[in-house]
Amino acid sequence: MKKILLGLMLLGTLLASQFVVAAADLEVNTPAISAIKNSMQSRHAQLAPFYASGAIGLTKDGLIAVRDANAVPLAQRGALTGLVKDENADRSKLYKEIAVANGHPEWQPEIQSTFAGRWIDKAQSGWWVQGAGGWTQK
Amino acid sequence: MKVFFTACYFFCAVFYSFSAQAVSEITISAGRVEHPQVDAQQLAIKLNLKKTDLQLRLNAAVKQKTGKDWTQFSLNCELPRHKTSAKCMDGLLKSERLNVPFSVEFSHLYSGSKPDVDATLKFKNASFSDEEGLHAAEKLNGSLAIALKQSADAWLWRAALDWQSGEAFWQPFYIANGGHQLTVSGRLENEFLTFDNAYLKVKDVGELKASGQMRMGDYKLLNFNASLPQLDLAAAYPMFFKPLLEKTAFAHADVAGVAALKLEIENAEPKTFELRLKDVDIADRSGKFALYKVNANVPWSYDEAKEVSFAYEHGELLKLPLGNTNIQAQVNRYALTAPNIKLPILDGSLNLTNVSAARSGGQWYWHLGAKLDAISMEDFSTQLNLPKMTGKASAEIPLVTYAAGTLTTDGSLVLNIFNGSAIVTRLTMQSPLGIAPKLNADIALRNLDLGILTSTYSFGAIEGKLDGDVKGLELQNWKPVKFDAIVQSSPGKYPKKISQRAVENISALGGGGAAAAIQRSFLRFFKQFNYGKMGLSCKLRNDVCEMGGIESTPHGYVIVKGSGIPAITVMGYNETVGWSELLARIKRVTAGNSKAVVN
Repeated sequence: MKKILLGLMLLGTLLASQFVVAAADLEVNTPAISAIKNSMQSRHAQLAPFYASGAIGLTKDGLIAVRDANAVPLAQRGALTGLVKDENADRSKLYKEIAVANGHPEWQPEIQSTFAGRWIDKAQSGWWVQGAGGWTQK
Repeated sequence: MKVFFTACYFFCAVFYSFSAQAVSEITISAGRVEHPQVDAQQLAIKLNLKKTDLQLRLNAAVKQKTGKDWTQFSLNCELPRHKTSAKCMDGLLKSERLNVPFSVEFSHLYSGSKPDVDATLKFKNASFSDEEGLHAAEKLNGSLAIALKQSADAWLWRAALDWQSGEAFWQPFYIANGGHQLTVSGRLENEFLTFDNAYLKVKDVGELKASGQMRMGDYKLLNFNASLPQLDLAAAYPMFFKPLLEKTAFAHADVAGVAALKLEIENAEPKTFELRLKDVDIADRSGKFALYKVNANVPWSYDEAKEVSFAYEHGELLKLPLGNTNIQAQVNRYALTAPNIKLPILDGSLNLTNVSAARSGGQWYWHLGAKLDAISMEDFSTQLNLPKMTGKASAEIPLVTYAAGTLTTDGSLVLNIFNGSAIVTRLTMQSPLGIAPKLNADIALRNLDLGILTSTYSFGAIEGKLDGDVKGLELQNWKPVKFDAIVQSSPGKYPKKISQRAVENISALGGGGAAAAIQRSFLRFFKQFNYGKMGLSCKLRNDVCEMGGIESTPHGYVIVKGSGIPAITVMGYNETVGWSELLARIKRVTAGNSKAVVN
């Protein structure tokens, strides 16, 4: 009985979180969102080789992180960590702005975790992504 | 040796290989040696006794108890008999992320029975890295001379590091090449490491002299006295300051000039510092701000208030030119105050009064009063690439507050423009220099001269006065996303005339129709018409503007209501217009690309 109750509760929370995400318009556009997206897009060309070499990877919380910078020349590592910082600042701002544009700033965590899944799904093969058990290569 | 054997807890195998006559070689091998901090395996020590000088060969794999990677260690030493000196060659520390070939020369190890070490370590082509690669160095060449001797209760020490070549990345700092030297001496007593006469020379950047005391338990700097008399910012900024300013507006700036810095830490708290800037230029790469020929003296003391001066010859902020400025302020621990700051902008100036700023919990808080003395709108509009405006603008805000990234104004900002006024109230701004700045405000326009306004925006001449109310304006990245706006002719008696071209343009904004009607009718013979009242409203939501006029009719709304002879009434029929479509229409109209004017 307990198990069934627990299962129902779990299902309930799952449905509830699905409902929130379903209700949120993730494609909503505002000048703030498009400014952030433009900034991320122009940075992507610089990040792409680092994704490919495995120096950086996509984290399970919708951000990116330095995974193994040893393949990157020392002179570029400062720029790499700077890019990661800038990208994460933009990503956090993006999730916040999408939540605000949906009229529900409190949805930010759900939106962020939905995006985390999206980024990982869309990641090219060979890129490193973070799962429950740590880093894996797609 | 005694220490070593007591460390053999787990498994130890010792072999002595004796020759038949005399002992010529001693070999000690151990499969595994354990120690509370370090594990060693495949340990081999060979002592060759045949030669005049003793030869010692060491080989082992070692690792820290908590680590998982083994590091290979090997070293060959010559120990001259009857001397305390030694020479060790072919030293190597090697693991997956570590490769340090080295040699070490001991000029003496003991004096009497007390340790008195004087050694020079030379490393050649050394490299190391941590797992993530965020603390790493490559192709390092250099030497480290160390002297260490026991004296009463303390150890006296001396070190000289000569970093000849090689690069290093120590997050967030990157040093591209060698040529740097550090010499330092001091004493180690109990857990306190005292150093005096520390001298650091960083090539192309400058020299640092320092003394102080560090607690070894937590590496806390208890006392520190440092002076950098001449710091070349062009080299020092990208190397040392930029990485620390990564998240600030100064992250993407180029800096040149000279700085001098003095710093004093007492009992682990900053006590004083003094920063001097000499002819420093700082310019943001994306052109958001720039200051040239900055000369500043910024003293600071924990105990007493100090006078700060900060001056620049010229600069710009968001493309507005800033003139020669000299700021005097008082700094009192973590707060800064200035009764008056005058910032010349364009041909006028911004006067800040009762400025007060404080830093608390890593955030800035400040407030001030601001008064903008008349600046030329012509210069202003040219600088910002706006349609050319005329007249002068002045403004006054009684209280501006900035707290944790948000700028708020109390009272109203009054701008005098187009012979009328624009009153901005409830103005707040978030991260104005950030990637997606936000602005909220209410704006009331009163008695704007339509003659000047319409000639500014090449809209077609209208004579009269205009009032407007923009409520709940929200800008993101300086673009409007939300407002309730209405503009209409001001109340009162004054000449009200509208040109045929303006009529066409207005009707084009409202969705067209009228222009064609004029051209078909007798009205085309008139260049201008009288009007009684005019007005247009737009309620912007989700990129769509819900439009209205001064009156509603069953088929639309009235934008211009005629009066007298010849009179004309202009109607609008589009109830909703996409915001970008409306902007495109305004652009077409003001660019003069609307339908040909019939004279």
